[in-house]
Amino acid sequence: MLSNWILTLVIVSPLAGIVTLLVPRCEQHGAIRGLALWSTFATLALSIVAVALFCSQRGAEGSTAGYALTQHLPWMDSGTGKEGPAIDISFRVGVDGISVWLLVLTAMLMPLAVWSSFSGIRHRVREYYVLLLLLHTSLLGVFCATDLLLFYVFFEFTLVPLFFLIGIWGGPDRRRAAARFFIYTLCGSVLTFAGVIYLSYLSFTQTGAVTLRMETLTRLGQDGLIPYAVQWWLFLAFAAGFAIKVPLFPFHTWLPLAHTEAPTAGSVILAGVLLKLGTYGFCRLSVPMFPEAAYALAPLFSTLAIVGILYASLSAWVQTDVKKLVAYSSVSHLGFCMLGLFSLKVAGVSGSVLYMVNHGLSTGALFLLVGFIYERYHTRDIEKVGGLARTMPWLAFFLVFFTLSSIGLPGLNGFVGEFLVLLGTSTSGLTIDQRPAGPLGFGYAIPAALGIILGAVYMLWMCQRILFGPLKEPAHTPDTSTGLTPDLSRREIAIVAPLALACVVLGVYPKPVLESFESAIAANVLPAESSLRQASGSLGRDGNPAKVGARWQSRTRQSRTRIGPVGDRQMALSAPWP
Amino acid sequence: MALSTYIVQFAPEWTLLIGACVTLLVGLVGGPRRVTWASSAALMTVLAALGFTMVNDPPDGSFASLGLWLTPLSHYARWLTLGLGAVIILVNWSQPDPGECGEYMAMILFSLLGVLITASANDWVVLFLALELVSIPTYVLVALSQSDARSSEAGIKYFFLGALAAAVLAYGVSFVYGSTGTTAIHRIGGGVGVSTLAGGAELSGYALTGLLLVLGGLCFKIAAVPSHVYAPDVYEGAASPVSGLLGFVPKFAGFVALLKIMAALQWQLPVSLQWLLWVLAAATMTAGNVLALLQKNMKRTLAYSSIAHTGYMLIALLVGPVTGEGPMRDGVSAMLFYIAVYGAMNLGAFALLAAFRTESGSVETLDDLAGVAARSPTAAFAFAVCIFSLMGFPPTAGFLGKLYIFGSAFSVPGDHSFHRPLIALAILGVVNSAMAAAYYLRIVAAAYWGRERAAPIPTGGTPVRWGLALCAIPLLVLFARPLGLTAPARMAAASVNPMSPGSSTSKLTHGPATTRDRFVAEGALVPAPISELRSGSD
Repeated sequence: MLSNWILTLVIVSPLAGIVTLLVPRCEQHGAIRGLALWSTFATLALSIVAVALFCSQRGAEGSTAGYALTQHLPWMDSGTGKEGPAIDISFRVGVDGISVWLLVLTAMLMPLAVWSSFSGIRHRVREYYVLLLLLHTSLLGVFCATDLLLFYVFFEFTLVPLFFLIGIWGGPDRRRAAARFFIYTLCGSVLTFAGVIYLSYLSFTQTGAVTLRMETLTRLGQDGLIPYAVQWWLFLAFAAGFAIKVPLFPFHTWLPLAHTEAPTAGSVILAGVLLKLGTYGFCRLSVPMFPEAAYALAPLFSTLAIVGILYASLSAWVQTDVKKLVAYSSVSHLGFCMLGLFSLKVAGVSGSVLYMVNHGLSTGALFLLVGFIYERYHTRDIEKVGGLARTMPWLAFFLVFFTLSSIGLPGLNGFVGEFLVLLGTSTSGLTIDQRPAGPLGFGYAIPAALGIILGAVYMLWMCQRILFGPLKEPAHTPDTSTGLTPDLSRREIAIVAPLALACVVLGVYPKPVLESFESAIAANVLPAESSLRQASGSLGRDGNPAKVGARWQSRTRQSRTRIGPVGDRQMALSAPWP
Repeated sequence: MALSTYIVQFAPEWTLLIGACVTLLVGLVGGPRRVTWASSAALMTVLAALGFTMVNDPPDGSFASLGLWLTPLSHYARWLTLGLGAVIILVNWSQPDPGECGEYMAMILFSLLGVLITASANDWVVLFLALELVSIPTYVLVALSQSDARSSEAGIKYFFLGALAAAVLAYGVSFVYGSTGTTAIHRIGGGVGVSTLAGGAELSGYALTGLLLVLGGLCFKIAAVPSHVYAPDVYEGAASPVSGLLGFVPKFAGFVALLKIMAALQWQLPVSLQWLLWVLAAATMTAGNVLALLQKNMKRTLAYSSIAHTGYMLIALLVGPVTGEGPMRDGVSAMLFYIAVYGAMNLGAFALLAAFRTESGSVETLDDLAGVAARSPTAAFAFAVCIFSLMGFPPTAGFLGKLYIFGSAFSVPGDHSFHRPLIALAILGVVNSAMAAAYYLRIVAAAYWGRERAAPIPTGGTPVRWGLALCAIPLLVLFARPLGLTAPARMAAASVNPMSPGSSTSKLTHGPATTRDRFVAEGALVPAPISELRSGSD
């Protein structure tokens, strides 16, 4: 019972928090802040319960296919056949091995973002926390939704709270940043909307009901029931929304402005979670639903990703605004995510998903640290501060730590993700264990590896200029008038310490998380590849590379006869397609 | 037929007529609270009529001698018009001048009465008269609503252009009469109506000319290109509550009339007329949105936005009916859903403008709106809900409206001759709604970001605020529970179709024929063998 309701509870809990926020009077800033923080902690606790239930449910079932903790509430369902074909669009939630960790990441980052706003947000306090909690609900919803329309609703709604967060509490150029962010992202996602609607029609022609259930749609795509030409257009329509969100070069131009102008918590959530909605969308929807189009377009998207990696690295190198520098580093890192994803191999995709989590942790923490500096020195200009290690040893420690995590030092989390992405990319074109070849190869891995070096260059240089050398502080700073200490306060240390701990854990022992990713990817993202692996004996053993591409193209036909391991038992689809 | 049948079946109409006359008299009674008295009388009238509508069973019956035919569509139109009419009266509560309050409220009631008769009309002449009964009171309302030169100018403009449109409409009706020899739209026998117009290619030249002229006249009512030019001037000149009324009442009447005409044609349009509607829809939404982007005055912006929404609804009209389907695939019920939602959200936007004033006058520009959120957060929130709904953003009913309209356009089957044009139109609509976001966003931003120094001053009292709340709350509730509106919309849409019996709609029947058998139970989807699609994928 609880396992069915837990995800709904997680999604709704911030809304309950909003209701409690309406109780105190406007002037009681302390009470409002406290309630907001406790509400996010409650959500975090619920999401940890969700992980525990997820693990126990998976352990009990001994199966990794499909979604766990599922819940189904009526929304737009109408008729069950009497009054014509039903519309089967409903509130469906569930998690698998990918989304459950992204859910935890969101639930973990939000309390920290709320807590970090205690000192910085001084006006319209209640509205601020209400909007943050609204954002929280929609982000949690995106990762839990297993109905495409519900996914789209949450995906789209994230824009509204962020628009206000940037526009009201942002930096000097906040209004332009908010409007550009909103319109730019909306332009892409309306095309996704068109794609969603077309998919609903397609699902109607195939199943007799207007359904947007992700499992059904994935089945349609995997079994070749979406014609190639249609797949192609739908992939592009979905990519229009997701690529802007990621952001993929050349659609990244909204990001530096929005990141720079957003308040600290906004930047943290934007970089930490919001950008992942794009990659998550590709991973959850585009690749499994349109497998042939994904294969055909992978070289294009990977090339864009690599150009993005290099271009954003070079841009980051020359920034003097430290927030902008971190923003460009995000563009570069998300390029790695996209590259790993389009290797279309389990290793690459799980590296990509791990990279999403890692980027959320380390870049989120970097934005927090930059925010701490800004609150004290009221500048983001690298030229104006220097040698801060002398006065702020705690800050220096954490900044160096997260820089190293971000550039992929072995032993910290960044390394594992990077390694897997490059491994997946470079081995994508090979046939190993009779698995069909993916679209990429070594040629893609080499420039991407160059991006890692560039990343180390600009990140370390930034550290050097801010932390070391002679002490440089603007006049009348550090500003301790708002109750801040010269070095990080205990509150601030408590905010970044959990992130650092998570970085170490993921760097030293990523196995449980990676196993969860891999089984989910095999079942839900690349089922064709995994079903071929399971049935590799029956495929014959021809190592002829010329046949490899043809085999990928034909894998859908072969997988049709092997539906058993892929399908969802609840859907009663174990019978072969007619 | 017994007199009592007429009284019972047309109770809402009688109530409105009598109530309007009583309201006129109430306005004459002096006293300092006469505005409240007149508004209360009007509100009671509408609520009583709404009560009669709810108590009556969904009506069904022909009254040939009156040229009326009660169908589920009339029922839908009744409760929607009266429900929103009550909110319209709330928003207009304290707008009229004390000397004119009786006339003002009576005009609103007459206009609502016109919509009710339009929805039941089964005679070209009755249809024409009903449409004019909708329009003529609105000319008066525009001129009465404010006492400055601008509103008089707007009233004059509106009147002359409206008179021109009425003349075109009447001229068209005369052509149709000439070609069919009867003014009846449907000949009704045994509860089944047979259209007096032949559909498709059999349409004679006279009838086609007549229909084109009728369409031209109706374009004015729904503010579609090329008859949209009056809208911004009139909306700007009229007081905000009246502009809110203009956005819904004449438009709804026009669309109901269009539905009736399409049904009379058995939804079999000549190809030329289909393309004409296609061009109208594309031009209307694009012109509305592009011109709205250029506006500085908020009422003009909302006027152009209302033109753009006409364009979206024309898409659904072009898709046409699929009997018994939900709005996800049936264009008619999508349109009926959308116009209800549109009426609420548009009225809500104008209600906020009515609920505030600046130092110097009414709230008109973005600067005037600045700081509303700081002064009254609840009203600003309701306003934001309405604007986001106009934008088509979740979680509001406006999102579902767009979903249904574009969904119906996308689900026209591949073998239908208008498959690709309709998809192109839907994509154009989607792009348009992104474009529209730019100006809606400016409005929301002004309300929330503006300086607090010269925030607008609340005015109009509690009723206006209630009106605003009654617009915003349903938008949120309907998002969570759309069945509350889709089910009646579907019933009403189904009644538009049986007006044209026979197999005329089979061309538009979507999808595999035996779908129902294949749909087993919730979640258990058994796929259909679509051989042609599969061979396409290989």
